Amino acid sequence: MLSDTNTLFQNYFSDFRNYDEVLKSDLSLNLNWKQLLNNLSGIGSENLKTKQEELNWLMEENGVTYNVYNDPNGLNRSWGLDIVPFLVHQNEWEATIEKGLIQRAELLNLILKDIYGERDLIKNGIIPQDVIFAHRGFLRQCDQIQYKTAKNLLVYSADLARGPDGRMWVVNDRTQAPSGTGYALENRQALNRVLPNIFQNINVKQSSQFFYKFNQMLIESAPTNKDNPNIVILTPGPHNETYFEHAYLASFLGYPLVMGNDLVVRNGKLWMKTLKKLKQVDVILRRVDDIFMDPLELREDSYLGVAGLLEVVREQQVSIVNPIGSAILENSGLIPFMNRICNYFFNEDLILPQIASWWCGQDKERNFVLNNLKDFVLKRIDRSNRENIVFCEFLDEKSLNELKQQIQLTPYQFVAQEKISFSTAPNFSNGLLEPRKMMCRTFAVAHKDSYSVMSGGLVRVAAERETLFVSNQRGGISKDFWIVSDAIQNHMQNYSWGSFCNLTISDINDLPSNTAENLYWSGRYLGRALVTARYLRMVLNRMNQQQYNNRSSESESLKILYQSITNITSTFPGFIGKNSQKRLENPLDEIVSLMTDDKRWGSFAQTLSSFNNAYYSLRSLWSRDMWRVFDSIKKHWLEVKHAKSHSVTNLSKSLDRIITRLIAFMSLIEESILVNQGLLLYFIGLQSEQAMMNIAKCRSLLVVDHKDNIQYEILESLLSSSESLNIYRYSYRSYLSLENVVKLVLLDKTYSKSLAYQIKRIKKDIDRLPISEGSKTISVCQEKIKKALIKIESISTDELLNLKEDGTLRATLESELAQLSDILHHVSMAISDTYFNHAYLQKQLAKQDFPLI
Amino acid sequence: MIYRVSHTTTYNYENGVTFCHNIATIKPKHILGQNVLDYNLKISPLPTEFSERIDFFGNTITRFAIQDYHEELKVTAESTIEKDYTLIPDITRSITGIQITLEEAKSYLRSHNPEISEVKQFMLESILIAKITPEIRTYAEISFKPNRSIFEAAQELMQRIFTDFEFNPDVTNVATPIQEVMTKRKGVCQDFAQIAIACLRSVGLPARYVSGYIETLPPPGKEKLVGADASHAWFSVYIPTFGWVDFDPTNNQIPKNQHIITAYGRDYYDVPPLKGVIFSSGDNELDVAVDISRIN
Repeated sequence: MLSDTNTLFQNYFSDFRNYDEVLKSDLSLNLNWKQLLNNLSGIGSENLKTKQEELNWLMEENGVTYNVYNDPNGLNRSWGLDIVPFLVHQNEWEATIEKGLIQRAELLNLILKDIYGERDLIKNGIIPQDVIFAHRGFLRQCDQIQYKTAKNLLVYSADLARGPDGRMWVVNDRTQAPSGTGYALENRQALNRVLPNIFQNINVKQSSQFFYKFNQMLIESAPTNKDNPNIVILTPGPHNETYFEHAYLASFLGYPLVMGNDLVVRNGKLWMKTLKKLKQVDVILRRVDDIFMDPLELREDSYLGVAGLLEVVREQQVSIVNPIGSAILENSGLIPFMNRICNYFFNEDLILPQIASWWCGQDKERNFVLNNLKDFVLKRIDRSNRENIVFCEFLDEKSLNELKQQIQLTPYQFVAQEKISFSTAPNFSNGLLEPRKMMCRTFAVAHKDSYSVMSGGLVRVAAERETLFVSNQRGGISKDFWIVSDAIQNHMQNYSWGSFCNLTISDINDLPSNTAENLYWSGRYLGRALVTARYLRMVLNRMNQQQYNNRSSESESLKILYQSITNITSTFPGFIGKNSQKRLENPLDEIVSLMTDDKRWGSFAQTLSSFNNAYYSLRSLWSRDMWRVFDSIKKHWLEVKHAKSHSVTNLSKSLDRIITRLIAFMSLIEESILVNQGLLLYFIGLQSEQAMMNIAKCRSLLVVDHKDNIQYEILESLLSSSESLNIYRYSYRSYLSLENVVKLVLLDKTYSKSLAYQIKRIKKDIDRLPISEGSKTISVCQEKIKKALIKIESISTDELLNLKEDGTLRATLESELAQLSDILHHVSMAISDTYFNHAYLQKQLAKQDFPLI
Repeated sequence: MIYRVSHTTTYNYENGVTFCHNIATIKPKHILGQNVLDYNLKISPLPTEFSERIDFFGNTITRFAIQDYHEELKVTAESTIEKDYTLIPDITRSITGIQITLEEAKSYLRSHNPEISEVKQFMLESILIAKITPEIRTYAEISFKPNRSIFEAAQELMQRIFTDFEFNPDVTNVATPIQEVMTKRKGVCQDFAQIAIACLRSVGLPARYVSGYIETLPPPGKEKLVGADASHAWFSVYIPTFGWVDFDPTNNQIPKNQHIITAYGRDYYDVPPLKGVIFSSGDNELDVAVDISRIN
């Protein structure tokens, strides 16, 4: 072994007790790892540290996240990828693991068919009926449903770990909606990008074939429309822990990412709500668990599924991957019977070993478990997540007795498993390698008459050295998983679909209305965020100037500006209502609150946070560059939020940075999304918000008449708040006059920031939206925006400038702007009513809050 | 005895409903001792989709969807039922049935016998009868002793629930957990049935939930009010070697002709008379009227 490798392995075995993947206890090496270790030591410890940091950075930059429930910092936690991959040689992989996985997938498929069909396994006494009937995943609603696909189980995932006998053991079966393929793909790409020389002289098998077959499976599972099936990916939404992956797969496979309320059951079929009409859906690749899939027949309080879906499945009008009801296979109660089942169906033994398990529903087994409880790991048959696993060795006498009582009351719900010490693999930590427990998630997909297994998969590593269990739900690290071959492999493929994906470019008529709504609101929020940020920055700059020239006109105009902030953002009382005097004395506090308090309606912070939600719902649409820019907007905002103290200069600087990035993000939207993908909706939202904010600014600054010197400062502020000062100077080359400012900001049809231009632009875009079938030739939205256009085009400057008789107010300006604001509001409502989902608010007929789960 | 049963459920929607999907478990069962001579289901407005199927437990369930905007949903099930309880085997005439003890019953149920495999699922916890507490088990064990006849014990359990629990419609709803009912000792027929089922399962016996109607008789000398009858629920226990025997703990009686059966399930959750998902934004108001009249 090279001396550098020795450095890396320093103290590797200091407190080491287990079987390791690389080093035997006599420090001799597993030869399969030799080249990788050579590569690692060639790269060197210091270099690896840098590369690991780069990898962490890349994962964060790419927005690869894993949400952890109930963790205050949990939403969108970065995905950890260890620089040292895990590897298995092709010989072992093909001879046992791959074969064993295929055998197990075939077996589980037959079990699934039998359980919801003839139940011969029960009738013939192969499995006790309580293993099935007492499992909450056994959905009686799914009994006797027939499927057109060759296999019932279409995707299968197994967690494997290496047992003390050196063989790979099956630890868990995942059959409902297995996650991890997207992370596995991303891991490989990231490692390849950051450290290509780690692959040097090693032939790593590629997984692109798997995704090709995966896509084939989706297409072929369609019960109807075989030629060009409509496939969607159903996600529980941005708060799900693996939402990143849902969005990732949607953009990778090129299928729409939808949520339950995008879909609807009518006339015995499943439809996706699009802008123009309902479009039939043939296949759902789902990431929603069984019981949430249909609030009519399954969990009634679910908003993640589609009411009536199960009946559409019964009528074979839609395929769900995997079928609803597959959770019954995630069943540790089956383990003790798996070998018997394998012999029953195939007349052969299981290839992959499992953990020795005792199901407590049998007298003999129960007594054995009760007498030796301390030696076991106890699970419920229908809960395999880590929170529900009891390591009995750590229980005190009292808890042990309580557990025994529970087992005796409902023995059929429990399985006891032998404690197993699985192998460790090297993990790079602080410049050294240390052994960590690990678990491999593997994937198989139904292909032709059999299953096809992904070469590799996703390896997860225990969070700490001594930790026994491995789970992402608690935050953890992952590894790339290599199957290494003696034969030379094709180069890493750039994962593009090429010719085997027959996607038709969809047009705007097919845009899911939920996506349309999120795009529209993205436009609204971004427009609002930009206008608010610029306005606040303008006021901060004014404050800064005042500190140098203490003119009374300035402090008077400043007060007007402070109050306009409250008006424009509608954040009353603010500088206007109750206790405003106090805030006016110390305006910075109020401005900081508007920038950082995301619970405060109308604040910049709240606008940004609303955009954040829309952003995550649309994640599959955004490009990588946009993910990066957005993350940096958030970073700068968080800096302001968590700053210990604030100064006018610092806030203004932070706003500079945020504004630059907002603009970058907005122009990226324009270049990365097609009009047909819904860019129109974004523009309509953006222009509407900017127009409304424009009106709000003019109403709060121009309606009241001021003395000349104050008027001048106000006009200058108005123009600089929308970065229009230069344009004004170019266009008018004159002293700032109210008349010219009104002309430029409100009426100039050629200036893109004027109200007249904005309204014209909204109208143009609305005219391009689809009109739903069977309705009038001109939509309500079109009628309304036309009214706004006619109004703004018929206004004369002189009328607007007229003062009331008492000489204080410009009443016409106020009333015209107020009317325009109302019309724009009505346009927004009409768009919402016409194109979005509000007519479909799902409720239970009789609200029944059953104490479920 | 021939009955006419009319069961009308009306929902009034404050803001109207754009469309809805519903499931009704409402058709009386056609079984020994209970003949369905006539049955029809009226739904207003007229549904766009309508289908019937037999569910996992052998009940008829009706699925329908209404796709037009409506402000009122009215579902009326009308049936003509012939009841003759004398056709059902009488346990008091079965020497083995009436004598079988808890211990004997349990050992019988432990055997692998395909004939009782359907029955055994009613020994397990179910959605609304889960986490059975030691308190419930203790309550059951007052009646159920290893060497006592389970028929006798079940009858006593029925009587004790009738005596110990107060009928009070204002304390519980369909979602009240059994543990809470056990503590409060108040509830309605459905709670009493579920408490009894929990007790039976806690001692290792199969018990199922029976949903249906009961004919109520007016006080002597008074005329019967239309709509005074009600949806009802009771329980049934499986007595090995004999079969299912029904008990009504709300009325402390073994059902005869006045009990009309619509569905069997593990608990209420499996057999709600009408459930659904509506698309609407307002509240709704529910009205249920059941009327049972004797034809001869």
